[in-house]
Amino acid sequence: MTAPEIRSRLVDDAAVIYPGTYLNQLRGESIENQCQELLASGIRNIVINFEETELINSIGISILLGVIESVNHAQGALVLSNMNASNRELFEMLGLMSHVEMLETEEVALEKLCRVETIV
Amino acid sequence: MDLTHRKMLHNLSALGDLAAEISSTHNFEDVTRASLHTLLGALAIPRGAIARYTSKPRQLKIVAAKGSAGAAGRRIALNRDEVERLTDHAHPMSVQAQNNGLAHFVGRHGDLLKRLRAHLCVPMIARGELMGLIYLSEKFTREAFTEDDIEIISAISRSIAMAFYNNRLLVSLKRKAEENRRLYAETRQLYRDTVRAFGAAIDLKDTYTAGHSDRVARYAEAIAREMGVTGQELEHIGVAGYLHDIGKITVDRAIINNPRPLTDKEFGELNKHVTTGFEILSNIRRPWDQIAYMTKCHHEKVDGTGYPAGLKGDEIPLGSKIVTLADSFDAMMTDRPYRARFTLEQTLSDLRRQTGKQFDGEVVAAFCRSLLKEINGTTRDRVFIPMIGLRFDRVAISATLDSMLGELDGSSSEYRSAAS
Repeated sequence: MTAPEIRSRLVDDAAVIYPGTYLNQLRGESIENQCQELLASGIRNIVINFEETELINSIGISILLGVIESVNHAQGALVLSNMNASNRELFEMLGLMSHVEMLETEEVALEKLCRVETIV
Repeated sequence: MDLTHRKMLHNLSALGDLAAEISSTHNFEDVTRASLHTLLGALAIPRGAIARYTSKPRQLKIVAAKGSAGAAGRRIALNRDEVERLTDHAHPMSVQAQNNGLAHFVGRHGDLLKRLRAHLCVPMIARGELMGLIYLSEKFTREAFTEDDIEIISAISRSIAMAFYNNRLLVSLKRKAEENRRLYAETRQLYRDTVRAFGAAIDLKDTYTAGHSDRVARYAEAIAREMGVTGQELEHIGVAGYLHDIGKITVDRAIINNPRPLTDKEFGELNKHVTTGFEILSNIRRPWDQIAYMTKCHHEKVDGTGYPAGLKGDEIPLGSKIVTLADSFDAMMTDRPYRARFTLEQTLSDLRRQTGKQFDGEVVAAFCRSLLKEINGTTRDRVFIPMIGLRFDRVAISATLDSMLGELDGSSSEYRSAAS
């Protein structure tokens, strides 16, 4: 299986990752690898924009937990944005809302991360 | 939708994802990794691993791990008692439990359990056999596992165990199929070598015909292949080529090697070799049973003047017609006790004269095409060239073959252009 390409962009000191329509194992592992690379390159602020993501399955959840742990371990900040109602409900149901920041839009997420950067 | 229903739906969806993974055609390493992710994601568990059990040697090997980079590949030895205890525990159990008789086993890989932050371990049991062990950390939220969670973990673990069981079965079947294929190939080779050895033994009776059976087999195969014969039928024709003279082992060596013309009585004796050969080979069972009849008919002629039965045209099996031509070509191109070898021109002239009488036209056409391809170098095969050598008039021979093909209405246009 070939690893799918995951779209991302850098905004100042932050990186925004776009997981695409369906977060499954292949795409999830690509996102995890991309996050590891970003953290290794010194980027500490990461936004994952779920605007196009219709469905996150249990494999996707498992991989996102890995991403959250990696960012926490690197003392970085992770914000999930643009999540649809059903994916948000899934996070709520699993009790993850208090462990990861979730904001309405990418812009708000970037603003929040940049503000944090400034304060630091 | 209330929380309970949402959870149920999520867990059902996880089981569905797992079923899709298990039945997928992905390699089993990917399936195992996806299965672990499915289990961890179903209950938001951040770390875990799946270890596969092997009985020889008796050990667990981590085949998928999440949350501890160095865990994959780690082996944990088990003793017989521990295997029995794990097999008896089909449910998740705390790695800290002291009353399950596994404290020593847990202590032996405490460092790994620490790195995985293992909280639970779940023996994977399928059809009463230990397939492996799943290690799980606490939930990401640090909340305790509920009874429902334990049920979900058990259900997913059973499915993963079944996937391991089926995969083991598949690997074993593949190994057996591969072994059978190898044995079959070896048996076929042995059979072919035996047949060749028989052919060589037959030829030893005749001081003039060393290698005759081997050459007849190769010519017959080349002609048959040119006629589009493939697979088992092609193999049978080759074997009939090797064994066509097997009946000669009962003919007096003095008759076979007689340099003078044979008397009627001697001819009668020699001609018996086809029926003797049939008797010898008729004990060979399917799928080689037709070889006996092919060899019996290799002195039949398409015009009905051959022996032993005077069969005509299509009453004669195709394999026999092919062996007849291959046999005659080799006989004409080699020295005999009673005459010197023919030139290629003389041999082709005889084949032409006997087409429709002794030889079948389509078989002669296939022979001509094969020979022409070798002469013109349009094939890498060298079946006839070793016999005819290089000292012949290439242009004249090509023209003769082309002309024969024209007469036989064989598809010779491409060879015509190649010959010119």
